[in-house]
Amino acid sequence: MTAHEWQEQAAPYALGILSSEERRAFEDHLAGCDACRADVRAYTEVAAALAHAAPTAEPPGALRDRVLAEARRVRPIGAGARTAPRVALPWLAAAALLLAVGGAVATWRLTTRVHDLERDLAARDSVHAADSAALVLLTGPGVNVVSLAATNRAPSARIVWNHALNRFVVFAFDLPAAPAGRTYQLWAIAKGHAPLSMGTFNTDAQGHARVVLTVDREIAALAFVDNCGLTEEPSGGSPQPTETPRLLGAWTRSD
Amino acid sequence: MATLPNVPVPDSQLVGRMAAGEDAALGDLYDRYGKMVYALALAIVREPADAEEVVVDAFGQAWRQAASFDATRGSVGAWLATIARSRALDTIRARGRRVRAHERAALLSDEGLAAPIAAAGSDPARGVERTEARRLVSQALAALPGPQRAAIELAYFEGLSQSEIAERLAEPLGTVKTRIRSGMEKLRGLLGPLLEGAA
Repeated sequence: MTAHEWQEQAAPYALGILSSEERRAFEDHLAGCDACRADVRAYTEVAAALAHAAPTAEPPGALRDRVLAEARRVRPIGAGARTAPRVALPWLAAAALLLAVGGAVATWRLTTRVHDLERDLAARDSVHAADSAALVLLTGPGVNVVSLAATNRAPSARIVWNHALNRFVVFAFDLPAAPAGRTYQLWAIAKGHAPLSMGTFNTDAQGHARVVLTVDREIAALAFVDNCGLTEEPSGGSPQPTETPRLLGAWTRSD
Repeated sequence: MATLPNVPVPDSQLVGRMAAGEDAALGDLYDRYGKMVYALALAIVREPADAEEVVVDAFGQAWRQAASFDATRGSVGAWLATIARSRALDTIRARGRRVRAHERAALLSDEGLAAPIAAAGSDPARGVERTEARRLVSQALAALPGPQRAAIELAYFEGLSQSEIAERLAEPLGTVKTRIRSGMEKLRGLLGPLLEGAA
């Protein structure tokens, strides 16, 4: 493509309407092209301004309280980990570390995912700070990993449990987003205990998710958690799972 | 623009306080943008209950990722609108159905926009800014040739890909691509004052 042809992609890219192949190619190009990055920035603002074209609507008064109540359940990424060293490892190094602690996993698959994530990162500079916070969570001693999979099916998830920072980092792949009014919920399953909720999340339109959850006190207090399960639940999550886990895996010990 | 009696805390400062875990700052951000985010969510998902869910999700994501906000890359409003649009589009995709084009066209007709804009004039300072933004955006959209505007609205409010838009409008893909590009270029020029104000 000529420079001009690349530049023509900036507006549809900012609107998020390129096909996935076009998007990937353009993102590869963006990494090395200041002019196109500047165009993408400008068109992203133009696209966002279109929000003002929505007809006015008055949100219900109680919505503000719901927003705040939801926020009180989770800490902003990085807010609770300011004293932790900020390690700026490249993704592949982090992946290698995951492999080391995760045991026998399909290397090629993870590498592919890492490439996807890297591409994601190049495109969305705005999440970089959150990513460096996530890297802090992925590294260091006292990290356990669980891989969740369904039998003969594509969706999978990988969860890193950072004991020092008291966080779960959840990666989900090929997991179609839970429908409106529903959410995915993760469960810590320990022998002799009822399943304990690890938190809720949903995947994006591509079926991917990368979220950080605070480890509940009850879970942190358990001597050992055997398994981890994923169920679909009504929004906000359930006190106990309401279905058989769609994905299930056993925690591996790192130390 | 109206003169503001008290200079408000800049948006980016609110986001900084959110990153430090101060939930009152999130409340302030909601007071500034809740209405815009809700209106956007409702325009995309159409169901008030789903729109509320999107608002909670979007502000939740902004809260969790506040540390990643970078003011040099865009305004807080654009950041929030981008998050909210993406959550709203996820909702309709998950729902597996999309609003029909003609309903959308009716929703976004000139009458549909003009009335609420005229009615929003009595808001306090922040409302005046929002109203000004709405006026500029609707003027800019109105200045586009109809087919360009229709293609951009389908892209933005329904998240249709360029080929889906071509299919919907029964137009060649190349034509649709050109319309979207030309329309966005024009909007970029027309919205210059608003976007500079936001940055």
